[in-house]
Amino acid sequence: MSGHRVRAITRRLLQGFRRDRRTLALLFVAPIVILGLLGYLMRGSTSSPSVGIANEDSGPLGVMVADALRHSSHITTTDISAADGDAGLKDGSLVAYIVLPSDFSRQAQNGNVAPEVHLEGSQPGVDAPVLQALQQAMIALASQVAGRNVTFQPQIKYLYGGKSYDTLDYFGAAFVGLVVFFLVFVITIVSFLNERSQGTLERLMASPLRRGEIVLGYMLGFTVIALVQAAEVLIFSLAVLKIQNQGSVFLIFGMEALMAIAAVNLGIFLSMFARSEFQAVQFIPLVVVPQILLSGIIFPVSTEPKALQYLSDVLPLTYAVNGMRDIMVKGADLTWSSLQLDAGVVAGFCVVLIAAGTATLRRRLG
Amino acid sequence: MTDSYAVDVEGVSKSFGAFKALNGVNLRVRQGEIYGLLGPNGAGKTTLIRLICGLLAAHAGTVTVLGQRMPNVAVLRHIGYMTQQAALYPALSVEENVSFFAAINGADEGVKDALELVELYDRRGSVVATLSGGLRQRCSLACALVHRPELLLLDEPTVGIDPQLRVQFWESFRRMAANGTTIIVSSHVMDEADRCQRLGLIQYGRLLAEGSPADIRAQGGSQNLEEAFLALAGRKAS
Repeated sequence: MSGHRVRAITRRLLQGFRRDRRTLALLFVAPIVILGLLGYLMRGSTSSPSVGIANEDSGPLGVMVADALRHSSHITTTDISAADGDAGLKDGSLVAYIVLPSDFSRQAQNGNVAPEVHLEGSQPGVDAPVLQALQQAMIALASQVAGRNVTFQPQIKYLYGGKSYDTLDYFGAAFVGLVVFFLVFVITIVSFLNERSQGTLERLMASPLRRGEIVLGYMLGFTVIALVQAAEVLIFSLAVLKIQNQGSVFLIFGMEALMAIAAVNLGIFLSMFARSEFQAVQFIPLVVVPQILLSGIIFPVSTEPKALQYLSDVLPLTYAVNGMRDIMVKGADLTWSSLQLDAGVVAGFCVVLIAAGTATLRRRLG
Repeated sequence: MTDSYAVDVEGVSKSFGAFKALNGVNLRVRQGEIYGLLGPNGAGKTTLIRLICGLLAAHAGTVTVLGQRMPNVAVLRHIGYMTQQAALYPALSVEENVSFFAAINGADEGVKDALELVELYDRRGSVVATLSGGLRQRCSLACALVHRPELLLLDEPTVGIDPQLRVQFWESFRRMAANGTTIIVSSHVMDEADRCQRLGLIQYGRLLAEGSPADIRAQGGSQNLEEAFLALAGRKAS
């Protein structure tokens, strides 16, 4: 063991970093971006799930419970009629609605209340605050009904998903798409970087190949790989993990193909900004982690702080994840306007990224 | 010799930032000629070659190749370019590499001939990553000439190649030139320079001297080509 030789290796590493400013910047910028985002997401959340309240109680207690719900910090409420509730869940303006039945006050006097709770059900994490708010309103109610113990039995109904769904069913739908997106992104950025660094890109540029042909060829090649991977992921998810799927397997495949195309072109585009594989690896947390945090996989977009919602709205993954959940949890088909929007936006991103990837090649031509 | 020039470079300048890589270079190469570009490292040889095949655009002056102003995608079909580093796909076999470059140039039928020319036909199944530097260089040459280009640009093609193979390389270059292929080859090996029909000495981005090896010897005042070059380079630089 020679301290001198060990020091030589250590010094060599640090000298390399001194020249590689970009890696250095990413090394120090990436963790702050990611942690800052996470902190803002979890602490800065001002918006809460929007819940409809339909008070049909003819007695006095319904008004009181509705009022307690209105003042709950867990949810944002609007008054609706029970008949409009399902429409609100479907168009996404509500994540839940609570119906206090016409005999609610009498139920309370008899010591057993059963408000109806209708949950949209496709997004994990929003059900808990709704039930929590209701629980607290019930505690307030119990103190008003003197001399009796009031038991509380909410009737929970799901529009999508339901009791048989667990966390994996919700996350699985999103992750099936996510896994393919990121793996394809990583192999593209690395292989395109190789194409630059081993000099073959220069050769391609000196051949009659057009830039669009290069980008298209790459896209087809990696989409084939992505689809094989998608098939494997899907079979494993459905057959082994038994993730529930309400929709068409072909639609899931179509969505994954779109995501793969977007990922390939994102990779080509970003490889322009990396000079080495080392730098390309640094891009991964910076591109991948914020998208995972902001695309609604873990935290529903509707409960994010407003500023972050705008950011979520411009990320392709937000639409892709939403589309995958629409298909797998809600059983959406192409007649659904929400799925049309999601697929359309992801396809639009593909077009923009193809143009950006092609333009990237042009710029290097000097 | 006819007066039709395969390559006509007129008053070309190219800078990278503050660095002037080429400064008012004029160069004319006739069809079927083997022209040697000589000069020290960093003199501008590679930049000139990249300008001729349209990978770079000149800041001033014009580059005309086979009668067309460059950059021009249509002309690229008739140009073969062998880069300094053996730019190949390491995960593919020799034959797969050559077939790929044949396909993108629309010349799928030339693969076998190209492999035989560089004597790699027996090694066609070998994966490039497992080859030695010299074998890679041969494979790279096969990729550059598989589509039988009218103009072959070779950027230091014989670096890392043993003397015996170098002789074979030059024999095939001469054969191709005799069949009408124009070849521009950059080098800093003087015994190679002697095999060219005409030479151009580049230094500090300028074409310092031009002529047949005999002319260069006369201009430099030495029977030794290397000494003649050093004399010419020293005279112009001072």
